[in-house]
Amino acid sequence: MTAPTTTGPGASTGRKPLSKVRRVLTSDWGARISFYVAVIIAWQLLALQVARMPEPWETLDFLYREVTGGSHGGVITGEFWEHFLATLQRFSIGLLVGFVVGVVLGIAIGSIRFVRSLLNDVMLVFLALPAVIWAFLTVMWFGLGWEAPVYTVILAAIPFVAVNVAQGVRAVSPDLHRMSDAFRVPRERRIRNLMLPAISGYLFTGLRFAVIIGWNAVLLAEWFGSASGVGWRSRFWYDAARYRGFLGWVIVFILFIFVLDGLVMRPLQRRAFRWRDGWRGDESELSLDNVVATGI
Amino acid sequence: MWDIVVQGEFVDDFAASISKTFMGFGLGAFFGVPVGYAMGKSRYWKSFFHDGVIGAGSIPGITYAVFALVIFGTGFLGPVLAVALISMPYIALSVAEGVEGVDADLVNMSTAFQRSRQDITRHVVFPSIMPFVFAGVRLSFAIAWKVEALTEVFGSSNGVGFQIRFAFQSFSITNVIAWTLLFILFMLLIERGLALVEARVFRWRIWEQAT
Repeated sequence: MTAPTTTGPGASTGRKPLSKVRRVLTSDWGARISFYVAVIIAWQLLALQVARMPEPWETLDFLYREVTGGSHGGVITGEFWEHFLATLQRFSIGLLVGFVVGVVLGIAIGSIRFVRSLLNDVMLVFLALPAVIWAFLTVMWFGLGWEAPVYTVILAAIPFVAVNVAQGVRAVSPDLHRMSDAFRVPRERRIRNLMLPAISGYLFTGLRFAVIIGWNAVLLAEWFGSASGVGWRSRFWYDAARYRGFLGWVIVFILFIFVLDGLVMRPLQRRAFRWRDGWRGDESELSLDNVVATGI
Repeated sequence: MWDIVVQGEFVDDFAASISKTFMGFGLGAFFGVPVGYAMGKSRYWKSFFHDGVIGAGSIPGITYAVFALVIFGTGFLGPVLAVALISMPYIALSVAEGVEGVDADLVNMSTAFQRSRQDITRHVVFPSIMPFVFAGVRLSFAIAWKVEALTEVFGSSNGVGFQIRFAFQSFSITNVIAWTLLFILFMLLIERGLALVEARVFRWRIWEQAT
C-alpha cells in the first residue's frame, strides 16, 4: 500500500531539465487546467456532431441572460434568482431536518443493540433506494407544493447520515470508555474529549453525503412535481426543446455542488479526520473512500 | 407486487434493464481501465483526471440521465451512455488505486531476475490490481444500476425505470412501491452474488483478509 511509485515527486529531478513552458504545462495545476480545456474542446466537438447539443458559447450566453434577467427572445425573460433561492431554501430546510433526524437515529443505532438489529436491514434497503422514488412518492402524497422537495431531501438524506454516525459511535474505543469509568472522568469531559473527536469525522462524512444526495433529491422532486425552483426551470427548457437553456441550468447544478463539496465539505471532512492516521484521503485523494456516496 | 411477479412481465423489463446496464458498464470499463492505469502510473495524468474523477461522484445523477437523453433521445442508447459515464470514474479510480499499490520492490526484484515484461504484468501487476478492480466493480454496479433506472424514468419505452414512471403517471402508489421493491431486491441479490464471486476468486489471499 505504501510502496513508493516509480513516478513520485522526486522522480523527474534526475532527468534533464525541462523547458519553462513544458514545466508549467506538466505541473499539477497545468494538468488540472488542461483537463478543463479538454472538456470544453470535447463539448464543442460534440456540439458539432450532435444537432441537439448546444455549443459552449451559446450556453454561456443563455446563462448570462438568465442571471441578468435579459430577454430570451420573445416575452420570456431570464429568471434565475427566484428559482435558485427557492431551491436553496427547500434544500437547506430538508438538509437540516434530515441531518438532525439522521444523527439521532445514528446514535440510537450505534449505541443500542436492539435498535441496531431492528434497523440494520431497513437501512440497507433505504440506502439502496434511488432518490427518484422518494420524489415520486412525496409528489403523490403531498401534491405539487413546497412539501414534496423538502420531504424528498429529508428522506433521501437520513439513511446516509444515520449509517455514518452509527459507524462513528461504534468506533469510539470501548477501552477508553472503561478507562474513563475507572478514573471517574466526568460525563461532560468524556463527551468533549472522547466522544466528539471520535464521532466528528463520521459526522462530517455523513453531512457531506447528505449534501450530495440532498441536492440531487431536491432537483428530482422539483423536476417531477413543482412549479418553481431550479429543477422545474431546467425541465421547462427541456420540455420546450431549448437545450441550451437546459444545459445552462445543468451547469448551475454542477457548479453549485462542486463549489459546496470541493471548497467546503471535503476540507471540513479532512480536518475532522486529521487525528485518524492511515486515513488515505489525507495524503492522496485517489481512493474510493472519498466518493462512496453518489448523488443518485 | 405479487401480481407483477405472477404475470411474469417483469422478466422482460428486468432483462432489458440488465442488458443496458451491462453494455454501459462494459463501455465504461473499456475507457475507464486505461484512464485508471495512466492515473496510477503518471503524476501528470493523475492531476489531469483528478477533478473529473473525484467530482463525477458529486454530480447529481439527474444530470447524467437527461444529458444522455439530449444526445440519444429516448432510444436504448441513452441509458447505456448514462451508465458508461457514471461507471467510468469509479472503475478508473479503483484501477488507479490498484496500480499505485503495486509493490515496487517485487517489480524491481523481478526485473533483477530478468523476468520478461509480460511475466511481470501477469504475475505481479495483475494480481495486485484485481482486488481493487473487484471492489470498484461491486461499488459501481449498484450506482450503475440506479442510474440506468433513473435514465429509463426520464425517457424509455421499456425497463424497470419505465415501469416505475408508468406507475407514477397512473398515480398508483402501490405499483411504484412494488416495482421499487423488486428493483432493490434485485440489486441486493447481485451485490451478494458479486461478493460470493469475489470471495471465491480471492481465496488465495485469505491471510490478508484477516487483517
